[in-house]
Amino acid sequence: MLLESVRLALLSVVRNKMRSFLTLLGVIIGVAAVIALLTIGGGAREKIRSEMAGLGSRLIFVFAGMPTDPSMPAVATARALTNTHLLSLEKTIGPYGIVAGHAETRLRVSYGARGLSGQILGVSRAYFGLRDWSLKRGRLPTAVELASNASICVVGSKVSEALFGVENPIGARIRLGSFHCRIVGELSARGASFSGDQDTIVMMPLGLFQTRISGKNDVEQILINAPSEASIPTLKAKVAEEMRRLRRIAPGRNDDFQVEDMAEYMRQASSIIGNVTAILGAIAAISLLVGGIGIMNIMLVSVTERTREIGIRMAIGARQRDILVQFLTEASVLSLLGGVIGIGIGLGIAWVVTALMNVDFVPSPAAITAIATVSMFIGIVFGFFPALRGARLDPIDALRHE
Amino acid sequence: MNAPPGSSPLLAFSKVWRSYGEGDMQIHALSDVSFQIEKGSFVAVTGPSGSGKSTAMNILGSLDTPSRGDYYFNGTEAGRLDKGTRADLRNRHIGFVFQGYNLLPRTTALDNVELPLVYRGLSAPRRRTLARRALAQVGLEGREHHTPSALSGGQQQRVAIARALVSEPTLLVADEPTGNLDTERSHEIMTLLTDLNRQQGLTIVMVTHEADIAAFAGRQIGFRDGRIAYDSCDEGMG
Repeated sequence: MLLESVRLALLSVVRNKMRSFLTLLGVIIGVAAVIALLTIGGGAREKIRSEMAGLGSRLIFVFAGMPTDPSMPAVATARALTNTHLLSLEKTIGPYGIVAGHAETRLRVSYGARGLSGQILGVSRAYFGLRDWSLKRGRLPTAVELASNASICVVGSKVSEALFGVENPIGARIRLGSFHCRIVGELSARGASFSGDQDTIVMMPLGLFQTRISGKNDVEQILINAPSEASIPTLKAKVAEEMRRLRRIAPGRNDDFQVEDMAEYMRQASSIIGNVTAILGAIAAISLLVGGIGIMNIMLVSVTERTREIGIRMAIGARQRDILVQFLTEASVLSLLGGVIGIGIGLGIAWVVTALMNVDFVPSPAAITAIATVSMFIGIVFGFFPALRGARLDPIDALRHE
Repeated sequence: MNAPPGSSPLLAFSKVWRSYGEGDMQIHALSDVSFQIEKGSFVAVTGPSGSGKSTAMNILGSLDTPSRGDYYFNGTEAGRLDKGTRADLRNRHIGFVFQGYNLLPRTTALDNVELPLVYRGLSAPRRRTLARRALAQVGLEGREHHTPSALSGGQQQRVAIARALVSEPTLLVADEPTGNLDTERSHEIMTLLTDLNRQQGLTIVMVTHEADIAAFAGRQIGFRDGRIAYDSCDEGMG
C-alpha cells in the first residue's frame, strides 16, 4: 500500500514537472543554503583549528593596546613593546617556556629585475623554537645566527617562485629595500591564512630588521610557549604582572597591553563562525518554512483537482486513512525530492566556495541525513492539512465534482 | 414478496428515510421507503430526476446511510456501519459502474481494474492476474495497457465493469451505465450485464431513465417524490 503510494506520488511529480519544480524551489533553496553553510562553516572551523594547532595551542601572545577599549585602534594609542620588554620577559618567563618576539612590515623584495611585495618579519633568537616549521629546502637559521644578526633570511614559497621560478634559491642574496640578505631556507607552501598570505613571508633576525629596516627597537608581539595547557592561566598572570612592573603601571590603573592565548583565539574564532552559521541557518530555516507553505499550497490544489479521483477511490473501497496516506506520501516524496536536489546543489556550492577559500571540503553525512529527514518531515507537516481535507471528503460529493 | 420461503433477501430497505436540512427547511429525498431485492436479481430503478432514485442507489451502494429506518445488506445492518467498515463493505461486496465511467485518467486499463485490489492489500502479481482475467471477461484482451483516452466510450465502460467485477462482488450498482453511449454500444453493455446476471448470478441494481434499457432488467422499481410509485414485482404477484 505504501509502496503503491510512493509510486503514485512519483508519477504525479513526473506528470507535473514544471509545477513540482516551482513548488520545490523554496525547499531546494532552503536545503541548499543549509547544506552549503554547514559544509563551508565546518571546513572553515576545521581550517582554523588545524592552523592554530599548527601554530601551537599553548601559545601566549603579548601585544600593546588597551584591552578595556576595543573601539580604539589599540596599537596606535598605546606605548609599543620594545626590546626591553622582550629581554626582560626572556629572563623572567624564560625558565617556564620559550619566549620570542617579532616585528613586521611590508616591503618590496627583489632579485635582479624580479620582485614582489613581501611580508618582512624580524624574529628573535628563540622564535623558530616556538613551533614546528615545514621546510621545502635549506635550513632554519640557528639561534646563534639570529642573536648575532647575520645577514640571512628564510623565504616563503611565493617569494621563491616569484624571484627564482623553479630554480633553487638557497644561497642567493635578495634585496629588501637598501639591504641584502642571503637565503638559507625556503618554507613549504602554506596557503592563505586568516593572518594573511603566509607564502610571501621573509624572515630575518630581529636585530637586523630593527637596525636596517624599521629603524626602531619596537617589537610587535611577544610570544610565549607554555609548557602545558594547564599552565597557561598562571603563566599569563605572571606575564601580566611582569609587564605591569616593566611598564610601571600604578596599581588600580588599567593595563596598556594585552595578554592572550591561542585557545582563547580558537574559541573566539569558532564562536564567530558559529554565530554567522547560526544567523544564516535561521535565514535558511525561514526559506524552508516558505518552501513548506509552497508544498501545502500545491497539495491543496492537487486535492481539489483530484476530488473526483478521491471519490472514485472511496467508492471502490479506499478508507479515509488510505487517502490520507496517499496525499501525505505525495507531499513527503515531493519535499524529500526537493531536499535531495537541494543537498546536491548545496554540496556543489560548498565545493566551489571551499576551493576558493582554500578550505577543506568535508561534507557531513550526519548533516545530510538530518536535512533529508527534515525535508521529508516538512512534507508530512505541511501536507497533513491538505491530505486531511482530501480524506474527509464525502464520496458522493466527491464523485459529483466536475 | 418473491422471496422463496426460508431465504432472506440480499438487500432490504425497511422504512428508510433520507432527509436533508432541519426543521421547516427539511427536505425528504426518501420518505418511508421499504423494499427487498433477492440475490441474483436484475433490478432497474427508474424515475424522474429528484425522485429519490439516486439517493436510494447511494444507500444501496453503502456510500450513504439512511437518516431513519434500516438498510440490510446480506443480513447486516449496513446503514449503521461506520465509514471505514462501509469502505470495506464496498471494497469486498459492491461493484460500481457510473454513467461517466469514472476511470482514473492517464492510468492504464489494467491499473484501473487493479485499484480495488490495492485497497484490499493483495500482492502486485495477484492483482495483475485477477485484473487481466476481469478484462478478458468483458472482452478487452489486448487493451490492458491502453489509457482511457485511447479507448472508446463503450470500451471505457467495459473497463469500468471489469473494475467492478475484479473484486467478485455480491452486488453491482450501475448508475445510468449507458447514459453516455449510442444505442448500439448501449445494447452491447446491456448484453454484457445481462450475461453476468444470468451466468454468474450477479445481483445488479441499475438506475436508468430509458425505458428500453430498463426493459433488460427482470424487475423495475419506479420512484416518484421520494417514494416507490411502481414495482413490477408487485404487479407480477398481483
